Amino acid sequence: MPIKKRGTGLTAVADAWQLADIDVTASYPIRPYTAVMAEVAKRIANGLMKCEMVHGEGEHAQFSIAHGASMAGARATTGSSGVGVAYAFETYSPIAGGRCPIQALIADRTLDPPGDFGSEHTECLNLRDNGWIYGWAENAQESLDNSLMFFRIGEDPDIMLPQIVAMDGYFVSHIAQDYEMPDQEQVDKFLPPFKPQFRLDVNNPVIMGPQIEPEMGPPLEWDRNVVMDRVKEKIVAVTEEFGKIFGRKYAPFVEEYMTDDADMVFLLQGAHAVTCRSAIRYLRQAGYKVGMCRLRWFRPFPDTALKAILPKFKVVGVVDTNTSYGAAGGSGVLLVETRASVSEVPGKPLIQGFTSGLGGETITHEEFFKMAEMMKMTLEAGRIIQDAVWVNFNDYLPAVSEVQAAEQQVAQTKE
Amino acid sequence: MSKTYKQVPFAAIVPSPTVSNEHMVTGNWRYLRPVVDKGQCTQCKTCWIFCPDACVDFSKDEGVDFNLKYCKGCGVCSSVCPVGAISRVPELDFDE
Amino acid sequence: MATAEMIKTIAQAPDKEYYLPGHRTCAGCGPALAYRLIAKASGKNTIFVGPTGCMYVANTSYACGPWAVPWTHAQITNAGAVGSGIAEAFKMMIKKGKIKDEYPNIICMAGDGGSIDIGLQAASAMMYRGHDVLFVMYDNESYANTGIQTSPMTPYGAATMFTPPGPEIPEAKKFFPKDPMAIFCGGGHPAVKYGATASIAYPVDLMNKVRKGLAQEGPAFLHVQCPCPKGWTFPANRTVEIGRLAVETGMWFMYELEDGVKKWSILPKQLKPVEEYLQTQGRFAHLKPEHVAKLQAWVNARVQTLGLEVPLPPAR
Ligand SMILES: Cc1ncc(C[n+]2csc(CCOP(=O)(O)OP(=O)(O)O)c2C)c(N)n1
Ligand code: SF4
Ligand code: SF4
Ligand code: SF4
Ligand SMILES: [Mg+2]
Repeated sequence: MPIKKRGTGLTAVADAWQLADIDVTASYPIRPYTAVMAEVAKRIANGLMKCEMVHGEGEHAQFSIAHGASMAGARATTGSSGVGVAYAFETYSPIAGGRCPIQALIADRTLDPPGDFGSEHTECLNLRDNGWIYGWAENAQESLDNSLMFFRIGEDPDIMLPQIVAMDGYFVSHIAQDYEMPDQEQVDKFLPPFKPQFRLDVNNPVIMGPQIEPEMGPPLEWDRNVVMDRVKEKIVAVTEEFGKIFGRKYAPFVEEYMTDDADMVFLLQGAHAVTCRSAIRYLRQAGYKVGMCRLRWFRPFPDTALKAILPKFKVVGVVDTNTSYGAAGGSGVLLVETRASVSEVPGKPLIQGFTSGLGGETITHEEFFKMAEMMKMTLEAGRIIQDAVWVNFNDYLPAVSEVQAAEQQVAQTKE
Repeated sequence: MSKTYKQVPFAAIVPSPTVSNEHMVTGNWRYLRPVVDKGQCTQCKTCWIFCPDACVDFSKDEGVDFNLKYCKGCGVCSSVCPVGAISRVPELDFDE
Repeated sequence: MATAEMIKTIAQAPDKEYYLPGHRTCAGCGPALAYRLIAKASGKNTIFVGPTGCMYVANTSYACGPWAVPWTHAQITNAGAVGSGIAEAFKMMIKKGKIKDEYPNIICMAGDGGSIDIGLQAASAMMYRGHDVLFVMYDNESYANTGIQTSPMTPYGAATMFTPPGPEIPEAKKFFPKDPMAIFCGGGHPAVKYGATASIAYPVDLMNKVRKGLAQEGPAFLHVQCPCPKGWTFPANRTVEIGRLAVETGMWFMYELEDGVKKWSILPKQLKPVEEYLQTQGRFAHLKPEHVAKLQAWVNARVQTLGLEVPLPPAR
């Protein structure tokens, strides 16, 4: 019987790891992800989980330990946040290129400076080009479910790629919520034991990760590229099967909210979707025909799904809760990827970039309202009025410009 | 124009060799060939243990022999032989 | 602790090779000889972790390798961590009955850079945590694979690509090397019960130290001096001779530290002047008498630190 529980995104993932019977996990303290390791440590101490927790001397080591364990044939996990994710950077490509399907939990956190504990997607997006598959969960339940689905997809013999269960630090990792912990039997039906085709085995010796001939380099990278595409098919099949077994049905790539008659939508990922939905309900009452598209996956990026979905709308407001200084469009990573996804699609919408929710700030109702108002202005103008909008900093609302002009005047008269 | 690439196994994982690594044949590096004077050889196996390339074959019956397919001609075997039984002969002096 | 089966003579060394012919290490490569002897001593039930360095690049280019046992690449930074992960995976999977394997010998084969410089953190942590792994530092006294640059093990006075001699810096390399045995086995890593120095010039001793390290439950450390004809600039046939000369001149010491107790493997009756060693290698060709004297003084001081009782050559 599934158990109704109250917990956080982190305890939910600890539940998933328990159910998945992981063999090795590697820890290093950094907030906010740390609590998952504290939880796993407790369960090991109490005999609830049979898993070796190796206390890494840093994040680089954590990922390396999990890598080694995976090559030996173990189901291995690790995790981190913020600067810790950055510190491990060298290891990401060898793990993915070695096709070791370890799972990392990243409860995201702003990079230094400003030395902020709050959520921001930047650090986790920084490792996007290495061949890890990942997406953000919006709550504890989805974190648990993603963990199980990601193991299943990543360990599939046709895939064999490492995964990141990403979640917004604090919003998902630390806010207590209700969720359901599935039954062991259900999980065993869904997730077979990890049995890699190759492992470090003295009776079947292999050489892993040799240098290659120059003519082999591009084909090896081509393989990683092709498998990324194959992941998309697996996502569809596995999400469907997950729904059948566990009764929770997720959109494979993009969750749409109130999009049926919408002429403009917010496009975002992660926990800000919760506030976004409620802002949309107010906006609807005020007559805005607005909806939301929430990405369930960032890698592989759901470009095919967006090609099909986005032309329904006139304006798409991409909300980037990350920085990519100097990026095309002057906003964050999602804007660039979204624009690239639909650039060649006839009837594509106007795609406006917004940067908001940095440094752990919630995106408030008011901020969603402002963005909606700006999207409406864009819609009416039929063109992008201003790129690179950092909400509260350079909004192009008339009211805002008036206030700014007034402030400037005051400042000048003081001089 | 199409370029030819080489097939690469999954994750570049390859089987371990059992006798020798056929993909890196190094005998053609050699310009001085080790030659043993079996009359002098005391079968002490010193040359055998010190070859970095495992190219000194040894058996009780045949004594010392060299794996010329891989021997790089470094001369370590010759230098360590306590009785000077291994000489280094220029490759050009050999017909084959 | 299992007892290691000791090899008494060269003739007794196992015939079977696990580091096979077919690798493009330089002719006369000391580290290659070390690999061969270590693989021979450890046998079939062994897994090697090979961080980036000559013993990765020169052994595996062209999507192949010379090992008859499982081998995996690691980054130059993380051999200790990858080894730790492999060790704990085996322990846990065996405990859970997920695999039927016997616990293997896990050997990290790291260069001096991969052990004591950029790889130090991972090596130290593996030893601190007490994983059942043998960490071998094959020491060719430079970052060799990148074209011979100075490392913390490069001796004082050696020329490398990053330490060329010139009028402003006549002695080339200015610093004296680190002491890995002191770092890993000097009491700072209590889980390490066995550590030893060894040399390719003394193969039976080396193989026995490998076996002792592996028989140890928990981490063990082996620091193996491996002359490198290319980096030290000497003819390829002199690899073993130079290894011996290092021991005879006190540029290398051969001892074990078992449970903190020092045991000399080779006790020279008298040390030859260090100059005899320096003369054999092009990397020291530029040294002036005052530099040689400085190096001799360093050797003499090492002898005292290590508690070796031997008549010393004068440090002029
Ligand atoms: C993070 C990182 N920095 C630098 C390098 C470049 N690099 C490749 S091999 C090598 C030398 C390794 O030296 P050492 O560990 O002493 O082994 P050796 O080559 O001497 O056998 C270096 C620096 C690398 N591979 N990775
Ligand atoms: S010359 Fe070198 S490679 Fe050839 S057999 Fe002698 S030691 Fe081995
Ligand atoms: S070292 Fe010399 S004497 Fe000994 S086995 Fe080799 S050839 Fe014979
Ligand atoms: S440079 Fe030195 S260590 Fe590297 S392969 Fe050549 S001899 Fe061996
Ligand atoms: Mg080196």
